[in-house]
Amino acid sequence: MQGALPLLALKILARRGPLHGYSITAQIEAMSDNVLRVEQGSLYPALHRMEEAGWVKARWVVTEYNRRARMYELTALGRKQLEAEQARWHAVTNAVGHVLKHA
Amino acid sequence: MSWVSRLVNTFRASRVDRDLDEELRFHVEERARDLMRRGLDRDTATAQAIRELGAPLRHREDSRDIRLMPWLESISQDIRYGSRALRKSPGFTAVSAITLALGVGANTAIFSVVNAVMLRPLPYVEADRLVRVWESNHRFDRPRSSVSIPNFLDWRAQVRAFESLAAVSNAGGSFAATFSEGAELVRGATVTAEFLPVLGVTPALGRNFLADEDRFGGDVRVTILTEGFWKRRFASDPSILGRRIPLNGRNYLVVGVLPGSFSWGSGIDLLVPLAPDPSSSRGDHRLTVIGRLRDGVTIDQAQTELAGIAATLAVQYPASNEDWSVQTASFYNWLVPEAARDSLVILLGAVGLVLLIACANVANLLLARAAARQKELSMKVALGAARWRIIQQVLTESFLLSLVACAAGIAGGAAAMRLLVTYGPANVPRLNEASFDLTVTLFALTVSVTTAFVFGIVPAIQVSRTGPAATLQDATRGAISGTGRQRLRATLTVVEVALSVALLIGAGLLLRSFWSLQQVDAGFSVTPLMTMRVALPSVTYPNARVRGAFYERLLTEIGTLPGVVSAAASSSVPLAGGNTVTEVQLPGEKGRADRQPSADWRVISPAYFATMSIPLRGRDFSLQDRENSVYTTIISETMARQYWPNQDPIGQTVILSSLGNRERTIIGVAGDVRHFGLDTEPRPMVYYSTVEVGGLASSVVWRSAVDPASHVAAVRDIVHRLDPTVPLYDIQSLTDLLSVSPAPRRFNMYLLAVFAGVALLLAAIGLFGVTAYIVSQRTREIGVRLALGADRHAIFRLILGRGVALAVTGAVIGVAAAFWLARGMQSVLFSVSAADPGTFVAVPALLVLVALVACYVPARRAMRVDPVTALRAE
Repeated sequence: MQGALPLLALKILARRGPLHGYSITAQIEAMSDNVLRVEQGSLYPALHRMEEAGWVKARWVVTEYNRRARMYELTALGRKQLEAEQARWHAVTNAVGHVLKHA
Repeated sequence: MSWVSRLVNTFRASRVDRDLDEELRFHVEERARDLMRRGLDRDTATAQAIRELGAPLRHREDSRDIRLMPWLESISQDIRYGSRALRKSPGFTAVSAITLALGVGANTAIFSVVNAVMLRPLPYVEADRLVRVWESNHRFDRPRSSVSIPNFLDWRAQVRAFESLAAVSNAGGSFAATFSEGAELVRGATVTAEFLPVLGVTPALGRNFLADEDRFGGDVRVTILTEGFWKRRFASDPSILGRRIPLNGRNYLVVGVLPGSFSWGSGIDLLVPLAPDPSSSRGDHRLTVIGRLRDGVTIDQAQTELAGIAATLAVQYPASNEDWSVQTASFYNWLVPEAARDSLVILLGAVGLVLLIACANVANLLLARAAARQKELSMKVALGAARWRIIQQVLTESFLLSLVACAAGIAGGAAAMRLLVTYGPANVPRLNEASFDLTVTLFALTVSVTTAFVFGIVPAIQVSRTGPAATLQDATRGAISGTGRQRLRATLTVVEVALSVALLIGAGLLLRSFWSLQQVDAGFSVTPLMTMRVALPSVTYPNARVRGAFYERLLTEIGTLPGVVSAAASSSVPLAGGNTVTEVQLPGEKGRADRQPSADWRVISPAYFATMSIPLRGRDFSLQDRENSVYTTIISETMARQYWPNQDPIGQTVILSSLGNRERTIIGVAGDVRHFGLDTEPRPMVYYSTVEVGGLASSVVWRSAVDPASHVAAVRDIVHRLDPTVPLYDIQSLTDLLSVSPAPRRFNMYLLAVFAGVALLLAAIGLFGVTAYIVSQRTREIGVRLALGADRHAIFRLILGRGVALAVTGAVIGVAAAFWLARGMQSVLFSVSAADPGTFVAVPALLVLVALVACYVPARRAMRVDPVTALRAE
């Protein structure tokens, strides 16, 4: 899961637009039918690392409950990264599947 | 992450952490909301949300702690965070900084004086070996009397404990110096040749007096100038040695110039040799004696040895020396008298109390603030911050606050110190040397840092106790921990009130002393009286007749000035300092144990009593006494009471040793005059007439129907017209002299009153704060009560009662503390007991009154709580 978290986060952000951290977790869990459980504590460091790498950008917004929340949004660089990661993921999973099937 | 951004991140750690904290807090809230939707209650949901998030965050905190210089980083982070927090609540910051600055400033100012007066070393080489020596007569209650010349000479010849013993004459300190520009009064000290060696001073130019120049009958006239006089009068002329200066009409050869570090008395211009006359009277006490102990000899050993010598002398010369022994004191104990030290210690204690009160007040404010920041701080705890990190953060904020206060306090303290130096009483020695040196600055810093710890630690520990569970419980409003905090704030308020009561009682006692002092009758009427002094050069005025003639003409001319009611002369006016003493004996009777065989004496002109408004029975001296061959005197009431109890002394005779050791007839009894200050009981006094003894008078007083100061120019003209070589000095009004006498008391009283006022204000603020806090905490409860039909006035009384109960508790403790503390004040009180019932009742009453006022506003607010609003707010 650890290695997949940035990829999933990027993918969710690409699909569902600007989201805050908790929504990202919730979405990942919901879409994987609760199979994938996000290690919540590691999501934020991952998000911050992606922010520093320039894949996402973040801004503070005020929510309906009048709370400040940090919204993350994919950048152009992030979109490229997502494609690269996705390609790498497919390559890796294909390779893994190949090994499992033919070993 | 590149090393650059890692570095940047290290410095931005606080911002990142802050953002992260807020982001995570949002996360926890969202998560808890979801969990609640699934049916969990709020507390369980919150706890679970934190648990899910918890472990990795604790890890985050830990992992940062092993970074490079983690502690420094956390400190700098706390400093940035703290300063932002302080900026965000300017009201709190201003109030607490001002409160602390008051405390620090007052302490710094008083300490700068204590430092100059008590702590800095005396300006002498090995000052701890310097000793002042007096003759003492306990039987007649004169523990510190000047020394007679023959006794000094015998001591000097026999004593082994001292390297050397020197004497300075108390008489003949001023000289009329005649320069081409006119006459000038020069202040001199008449000293023996050992004077400079004893003080450890070597002349900067030339030499000390030779033993020969200090020998009686040698008739050598030499002088050593002080640096100040040499600069002022001779423009630091390097060829001054060998010049001759005309003093009192005779030329004195300049043999030396003293270094600038020389320190003796005040405003000394030059030294001349004393050349002590061994044949002078042993009963004539007129020398100030000082000595330098031999290395390794203690002052007690010196005292014992001198007392032994004095005992031998008493056997040898019983007529003059019976009952006379010796008293010694170190220079420190002599120059920094106990009274001055006592009042400084009292003042230092008082400002210390003010600082404690300020601390309690700021701690109180911090606690109130902690309530507001509870969620923020406990969030940190929840997110894995170690407890010590929370304490450190809160303390850092306290230190920042105290540093701001320290800066303001030092600035204010420096200004206050200048005020103290300017308006401080003259009897505080070395006060003018007070300055802001390193010691004072370090003191201010230490005080500030300690203060920060004192007022910061309690709230810090309080806050850090908050468990993570309380973190997000919005609705609880910290009900549980709030009780503890309320109790803490109440305790602090009680302490504040107690300290203020103690201070106020101290100030009250001084106020009462001062008031009693104002009721004392000085023995003469001061307004509108003017005094000045003239110095007649002994060459042009060699005998009593010419001196007397000068004064007669001077007084006649002053008396004719328009507006002048009367004018008179005296050897010394009351309160101006200086004293002269004579032995007293009744004809055919030896001295008796029940009275002092001595009296102070003054030489006065006719009309002196009328001019001074001193009551007189019998008759005054008159100009016609000249034709009279009978020697006369006027005595004071105290003298009359002691020597002729239940008898009329007028017409009786008495033998007075001074001025010719003659039997004199008493012609009048004058009212007692407080010559040495209002707080000193009058002593027996005898008066001689200028008509008989001539010009021993040097002070002139005149009473006038208009402002007596308006005659100064005219009086100057008269003196100049009579003799341009006669200098005129010490022109002042007796009102000024009288106001100088109680100055030390007034000074102490004002300062203590100011401190007590500040304390009272702080206590009132504390009471107001705690009551207002109680009201804000209990708004809902009050709302419920009101909704259930409670009487609004009962609510008002409830809240008011709570505040007043605190004040009364504090007042009771304060009274007990003051009772104990005030015993140390007895020495500075005047005719008021340290347990003065009036003060001990009035002060607590005043405080309870102030408490009522301070609690009135919050109590009214409680009464007006709108139940609907109060309940809806939940």
